[in-house]
Formats: sequence, structure tokens, C-alpha cells
Amino acid sequence: MAEEKKAIRKPGVCIPWEEKLKELPELSGDKELVRKVWEDIDVLGYVYIWQCLLSF
Amino acid sequence: MAKSYDIAQDKDMEQLYAERMKRYVTTMRNEKPDMIPIRPFVAEFTAKYAGYTCQEVTHDFEKAFAAARKCAADFDWDAVVGNMVYVWTGLTEAIGTKYYGVPGIHIPPDTGFQYIEPPEEEAFMKPDEYDQLIEDPTGFLFNVWLPRISADVAAVGEPTSYRNNLSFLKGGMAMLNYFNAFGTQNELLRSESGTVSAISGILKAPFDIIADKLRGYLGLVTDVMERPDKVLAACEALMPHLTHVALSGADPDKNVPIGFWMHRGCVPFFSQEHFDKFYWPTLRPIIEKIWSNGHQVLFYAEGDWNAHLNAFAELPDQSIVYHVDRGDIFEVHRVIGHKFCISGGIPNFLLSYGTPKDVRECCKKVIDGVAGDGGYIMDASAIVQDDGKVENIKAMTEFTREYGVY
Repeated sequence: MAEEKKAIRKPGVCIPWEEKLKELPELSGDKELVRKVWEDIDVLGYVYIWQCLLSF
Repeated sequence: MAKSYDIAQDKDMEQLYAERMKRYVTTMRNEKPDMIPIRPFVAEFTAKYAGYTCQEVTHDFEKAFAAARKCAADFDWDAVVGNMVYVWTGLTEAIGTKYYGVPGIHIPPDTGFQYIEPPEEEAFMKPDEYDQLIEDPTGFLFNVWLPRISADVAAVGEPTSYRNNLSFLKGGMAMLNYFNAFGTQNELLRSESGTVSAISGILKAPFDIIADKLRGYLGLVTDVMERPDKVLAACEALMPHLTHVALSGADPDKNVPIGFWMHRGCVPFFSQEHFDKFYWPTLRPIIEKIWSNGHQVLFYAEGDWNAHLNAFAELPDQSIVYHVDRGDIFEVHRVIGHKFCISGGIPNFLLSYGTPKDVRECCKKVIDGVAGDGGYIMDASAIVQDDGKVENIKAMTEFTREYGVY
């Protein structure tokens, strides 16, 4: 169980793309583009909280 | 005419930068450079030298950057940190962070910022919350830890608020501004004074961070006796995240090391048994992973970590640079000097209360004892604050330049 939960939020991730994808309608365009932009911005939230812990 | 002068100056600075980078990197690989590199970690000292208060360099990072650049331009140093007064309290105040004593707000403007650890019963993580941390470290930090350390952030289930929303918005934008500004600062250090940015990225040990920001030192002392399995599992849960953060901030050129700040995981804060059980098994794999990616780690061994030198000696050759604070630097050199570059060892009390003659004698003793084959970087023992005397920092610099040529 603990292993499964750990896998839900990996390093560098706040809201996994797989979780977000379930909320979206059927994607008609470039799915990879949507995933990449989601993850590129999502990691900023991760940086924020871990830098709060480590640096500030 | 002015333009051609600037081009010539730029070329000179670029050449100087290249020479310093080569000297610094060669030494960190535990080899012999042309001369001993000088890499002082100067924090509030820069304010004193440049004419600022502690409040100014702590709360206005542009002043801190300017002070660091002024020191870099005036002293013949090979590498510095772009802002060693690293905690920008403008950012922490925007977030609503509770644990800092901020110069000019909570403490006098000429006192360096302070970290205030809460009493054990008010620790930011409770003893029965280990499982939450272990299962989802990132979620725990957002949902439990952040609302406790911020005066503005609402906990899950509490009503949100204007202040809550602004904490995230202002905090996020301010952090991005600050981190982006380091890129410009590093370029200015390079172009204005040919100075290398000494480190890139941050690492703390899982065991240390639990004491520093979650359970507090006293809380962790209790936990290693009463719930040791939880402590170990929490350290293990933090490992991949701390590795990820360290690597994500590392130097893409793989020249300068990741800064690793060592706090209270050593004897006598904890026993050798605790070090062997918790601290080292959950740190060593992180260092090895980082090294397998081609990055060195600077062990900034604040205090005295000499009880653990044999453990550090297990790491791959050249994988770390070991900075000596209050440990016996000659013992450090004897045990790990054949594997790793060493830095530091000039006591801060000497830089604050000694004379230039005292400092020169100490530098000679350290250089004679540990720098004969290269692999040594001149620096104070600990981060230099505003009690460091300018004449003593000059003596450390000038003596090293005179005596430290191979």
C-alpha cells in the first residue's frame, strides 16, 4: 500500500499527468504537447515546496 | 575608444575566469593546480565591507548581490557564492514564514538573520504523523507542514483566505524572481571580476532535514529511541526527493559541486550508532547517485564531523569536496585527503578576534599540513559573518597568494 501511494507522487510531480488526463475531455489535438506543458509547469509547484523546506 | 577598452577588459576577465575555473576544478578533483584557489564563503561580511546593514543584504537581495560582487572585485578570490546570505527574507515574509528572526523586524538591523526552532511540543510535525510523511512527502509538505510554518497558509479543511491565496502567488513569483536573478548575478561575477560561482544546487541529509524543519532536534532525539523504524522509513521516503532536488539544481557543465549543508547528524548531537543506523545509510546512496550523474558534492561539515571520517572515506574517489569547520583538519587530511579535496580550516574566531599576523601563521600551518600535493582550497572554517575583520580576510587572501604557489 505504501509503495502504491509513493508511486502516485513521484519526485518532480505535484499532480501526475495521468490524474489530470482523467479530468480532460477526449483530446483532439497533440496529446503529447498537452502532457509536456502540464508537467513542465507542475514541476514548478514541486520546486516551490521543496525549496521552501530546504533553502528557506 | 571606450568600446575597445571594454572589449579588452572583457577579454582579460574572460581569461581570468578561465584560469580561476581551471584552478578551482583541478583542485576539487584532488589534483595540483598552479596555486591554491581561494573560495571564501562570506555572508554578512560582504555587507560590512560594502557598507550595508545586515537588514539590507538579508531583505533586499539586489544589495546582497552588489555586496558579493564588490568583494569579488576587490579581493583576489577564485570563487564565491553569488549570495551567501542565502535566505532572502523578503521572500520568507511574503510566504508568512514563522521561523526566522528577520533583521530590522524581529531582531536589530545589524544582527544576522536567525533560525528559531520551535519548542518540542510545537514542532512542525507531530510524532504520530510519520506515516503521512512516509506515504506522500510532497503532499505532507503542502497540506500539513506549510500551513504550520506559515502565518498565512490555511490547512486542508480550513476556510481559505485572501492571505492564503496571496502567500502562494507572491511566494511563487518571488521565488522565481530570486532564482532567475542568480543567473544574472553569476554572469556579472564572471564579466566584472572574472570570479567563478562556487556551487550550484542544494542538498541536505534526510536525517538532518527531519530535525531542522519537521520534528526539531529534541523531537528527533526522542524519536530515534521511541519510534526508530518510523524515523528510518521517513529518511528513506525523503531520499528520492532530496536526490531529485539536488540534481535539478546542479551545474549542467559539471564543474562546480552541489552544496551539501551538514547540521546535527553527527556525534555528539547523536550517537555513532544513530549515525550508522539513520544518517549514513540514507545519505550515502544519494551521494553515489549524484556522482554517477557526474556531479561532485561539497560536504560543508559545520561543526566537527571527524568521528565519521571513515564512513565518508567509503565514497568513490573525487566524488566529494570536504569542507572542514571545527574538525581537526590535519586528521581530515590523514584519513580522507588521499581521496578528496579539502577546504577551510581557518578558524572564524581568529578572523574575528585575531591579528593579521595570527591569520598568516595559521594559514601557513594549514597549507604546510594539508596542501603539499594540491587538493586544498583556502577558506574560513565557517561562513564569515559581520564579525570577520576586513584586515584578517585580506591577510588570509594575500598570504595564500604569496605562499600558496606550486
